Amino acid sequence: MRRRLLARIAAALTVTTGLGIAIEAGGDSLLPFTEEETTAILRHGPWPQPWSHDPSNRASGNAEAIFLGERLFFDPRLSVNGKLSCGTCHEPERNWIDGEKRGLGLARVDRNTPSLLDVRLHRWFGHDGAADSLWSQSMRPIVDAREMGASAAHVAKLVRGDARLACRYENIFGEAPPADDDAVLVGVGKALAAFQETIISGRTPFDRFRDALARGDRQEAAQYSQPAQRGLKIFIGKGACNTCHFGPNFTNNEFADTGISYFIEPGRVDAGRHGGIQKLNTSPYNLLSRWNDDPARSTATSTRHVEPEQRNFGEFKVPTLRNAVLNAPYMHDGSFATLREVIRHYSELNEERLHADGQKILKPLRLTPDESNDLLVFLESVSTFTSPWRGNSGTDDPHCEVRKK
Amino acid sequence: MTLRWAATGVVLCSVLGFAMGVAGSGAATACTPAFKGATAVESPRYTVAWRTQPAGIAVGQHFAVDFVVCAKAGAAAPKEMRIDAQMPEHGHGMNYKAVVTPVKSEGGGRYRADGLMFHMPGRWELMFELRGDAIDRLVAEVILK
Repeated sequence: MRRRLLARIAAALTVTTGLGIAIEAGGDSLLPFTEEETTAILRHGPWPQPWSHDPSNRASGNAEAIFLGERLFFDPRLSVNGKLSCGTCHEPERNWIDGEKRGLGLARVDRNTPSLLDVRLHRWFGHDGAADSLWSQSMRPIVDAREMGASAAHVAKLVRGDARLACRYENIFGEAPPADDDAVLVGVGKALAAFQETIISGRTPFDRFRDALARGDRQEAAQYSQPAQRGLKIFIGKGACNTCHFGPNFTNNEFADTGISYFIEPGRVDAGRHGGIQKLNTSPYNLLSRWNDDPARSTATSTRHVEPEQRNFGEFKVPTLRNAVLNAPYMHDGSFATLREVIRHYSELNEERLHADGQKILKPLRLTPDESNDLLVFLESVSTFTSPWRGNSGTDDPHCEVRKK
Repeated sequence: MTLRWAATGVVLCSVLGFAMGVAGSGAATACTPAFKGATAVESPRYTVAWRTQPAGIAVGQHFAVDFVVCAKAGAAAPKEMRIDAQMPEHGHGMNYKAVVTPVKSEGGGRYRADGLMFHMPGRWELMFELRGDAIDRLVAEVILK
């Protein structure tokens, strides 16, 4: 499937790929973009975004924490039955998803598995934003009965009982795994977060176009195919997709009701953002809790000021569009198998499925077949098959090997 | 939050497009000594001079609003201040509830609102609600690109 997609992108785009292969220009040229359009386009970069430390996590950016986090990420001993790891659902070779409509851990869950690509840039975590930090989100599946089914006690016993894990934990946090099970679980979450912060996506054909536009290099910009340019014009114009899919990561990091059913099954509703805020407010691990390593609580503003409202029912997180071509199936419940189906949804939107006080901005786009194709080509151009992430193949942590001697 | 601002019995002063610089403005200057970089909105009874922190509002980023309220002749100082915002064309407000606190160290009439965020580009209306013997609502327009 990946080869077919690559072939489609190669046929559609006139770009130099990350592999250094020049794809035939095919006579494309730069369409006229207004000043307003150019401003909107430039908002989607630069890429990648600069590194920023997470002050709520003292392990953020710590090389030893990244090392430990990677090992824990793929360690099935964190699960209650010893068979499931984070990597079971977030598979690196699948763009950090599982390809399932709805995730499958110990049992089938209610939502689609989101990719972890560029997850460090998120404000909220999970489709409902029930977590306000990457480290607290990283703890959740471990103790969720339908996912990994473990407990803080289970995790703490593992870390305390494994000499290497305990050594690495001590190197990062300056103390041996403590007797407090919760504290060890939080430490594991922070190491997992430190690792996931390193999962970033590469530059795409769109990024090269955007940067060429920024520096006024019309010749380079013209290498971006006309279908992609036309699709981009729809994205920031008729489609107004950038109202929510805003910024370098193509998301405003907030939530929207897009007319997708929130019935998990007959008689059972996914409360979406409304439930997420309630979970956040009652979480013992949110950014207002004692587990936040930042005394100033400088990243806790959103948590401090968010309140559930009726309209939050049916709202789910606005996903990034980067590498969307590799993220199928789509939407919070995996209800669309292809990006073309997603485009058709917005083109033929059933407004009656939106909340009465929902966003008036969502109207059926009524795209022509050609416009749909162009928009699809544009979305494909915000993807890349060249992932900068490489697994650490080392088997030992020299710091802990030295300590053992 | 969906806002319903068209309540009866309130003084709503829509000053869209009327935002003016404080410097050189007689009424606002009188209200806001040493309040640099502020913009002012007015109703028949009040002037509110305001500025954001940081100075530029970015889509999807929290910001605070520092503001000074000045009661014009015959108007009592408001007893309570609120601040909110909405996108009229979209029919929605902010996803976060701003909290207003008096800045007593700066003297009377000075406030700070924390926790605001404009999560979409487009036209926003920033509303100052002054509550006292009546309710005055002063609205400033902000366009984000």
